[in-house]
Amino acid sequence: MNKFLFLLSEGLKNLWRHKLTVFTAVFSVFLSLSTIGVLFIAEQNTHKLIEYMRSKYKIEVFFKDSITNDQASQYLQEIRKIPGVYSTTLITKDEALKVYRSQFGDDLTEFLEYNPLPVSCVVNIKRQYDGMIKINPIIERIKEIEGVDTVNHQGRLISRIETFYEQGLLGLSGIAFAIILVTVMIISNTIKLTIYSKKDLIKALKMIGATHTFIRMPFILEGVFQAVIGAALASALLYGAVVGANELLSQLTVFTINVQWMFLSWLFLIAVIISLFGSSRAISRFIK
Amino acid sequence: MIQLKNVSYTYRKGFGLANIDLKINDGEFVFLIGPTGSGKTTLLSLMHMEIFPESGKVTIGDFDSDTIKKRKIPALRRSIGLISQSYHLLDDRNLFENVALPLHVIGHNQNDISEAVEEALDEVGLSGFEDHYPQELSGGEQQRACLARALIKNPKIILADEPTGNLDPVTSFDLVKLLEEINSEEGTTVFMASHNYSLIKSRNHRIVEIHDGKLRSA
Repeated sequence: MNKFLFLLSEGLKNLWRHKLTVFTAVFSVFLSLSTIGVLFIAEQNTHKLIEYMRSKYKIEVFFKDSITNDQASQYLQEIRKIPGVYSTTLITKDEALKVYRSQFGDDLTEFLEYNPLPVSCVVNIKRQYDGMIKINPIIERIKEIEGVDTVNHQGRLISRIETFYEQGLLGLSGIAFAIILVTVMIISNTIKLTIYSKKDLIKALKMIGATHTFIRMPFILEGVFQAVIGAALASALLYGAVVGANELLSQLTVFTINVQWMFLSWLFLIAVIISLFGSSRAISRFIK
Repeated sequence: MIQLKNVSYTYRKGFGLANIDLKINDGEFVFLIGPTGSGKTTLLSLMHMEIFPESGKVTIGDFDSDTIKKRKIPALRRSIGLISQSYHLLDDRNLFENVALPLHVIGHNQNDISEAVEEALDEVGLSGFEDHYPQELSGGEQQRACLARALIKNPKIILADEPTGNLDPVTSFDLVKLLEEINSEEGTTVFMASHNYSLIKSRNHRIVEIHDGKLRSA
């Protein structure tokens, strides 16, 4: 316990002793986590946008003339089982006639003496579908259903939107990974510099019989403290920026930036993991 | 007890130690004399197990160089007080913090540490210097601070590598006297390397001479 308290206090004191290198590391963590935070917020809000667009995706399925409303209901159950399908809405022959009347003002049955409109249905896609929705396989599956006559859809547009969304997510993940990698390198190099400047301390500690863990621990704790400070500053900036931006947006549009603030705890966790990895990497090169 | 049996060690450039046999009994005070580059520091490094012999065996108390595990080396070093020509005091810590460091390594509590630091500083005549930083002390004071840091953990052995190398004759003499007091009062084994024959010739202790990596008398 005494050793742990000493190492903890050494880690804290080192923050003051190595002010300049600490500032560099904290600033790097702050910048990296702020960028990762911005990417995360962007991803969360892009997600809302894609969900909104998916809610507008519409596939219209027209059944063959011979298909009755009851038969169509059974086909609808089959359609609902297709992965990616959220809901189906049956449009009976009578409902189709009503729609026709409301849109064109004519009553087809008056001069044809029968209702020529087929039973149809509208298929809605799942909004919260993991990853990219591939629309073509859904349409192919629908077309394979026996009673289906034609399928109208915005397949090309949907495919473009989904591809763009998927590439965007991949790009964001790539950028976030690159930033994490750069931060690990920066922290690692900063700690390396600190260790290099503390060769005397390490030599003295070895001389008096300190174990490797005892020598390493203050450097690792120093790295963790740097990361926590950097994460706290980044969190404060992100929180302030989102609150400020929403204040401004509320005066201009109805759109607001939504953030699950729990993600800030993830930022802290990422920071600690980065620092542990970075400082361990640096120390292992010097203290073998 | 310190024992070296037929110990050889060679550096890449070729020089080192050859077939060293040496035994130092518990509580003994032994001087190691020899010119610069004769192998004094190498011999002490072998005893401190910073390096290991190519052949032969170094025994320090219960620790043998050929069987010791890497994780046990810190335990060996905690039983040895090492002082050297370059003081290895930490510039960003005051004297109290420097001297207290070995006890933090062992895991003592703060009260014990305060008491022990006062005692150690008093023993080397540096009471009242607790808040001073190394750069505020003279060479002799810094060397005594190193001795206090070595003594604080009550070592069974003190290895002194040219501790008077940077000191004037009077301060050197005082330091040797201090080591003698520790040896006689605490029963601590002292093995001190020096190239200053005039400093040690009048002392009544065994002298071991090293030349070109070989012991001449033991």
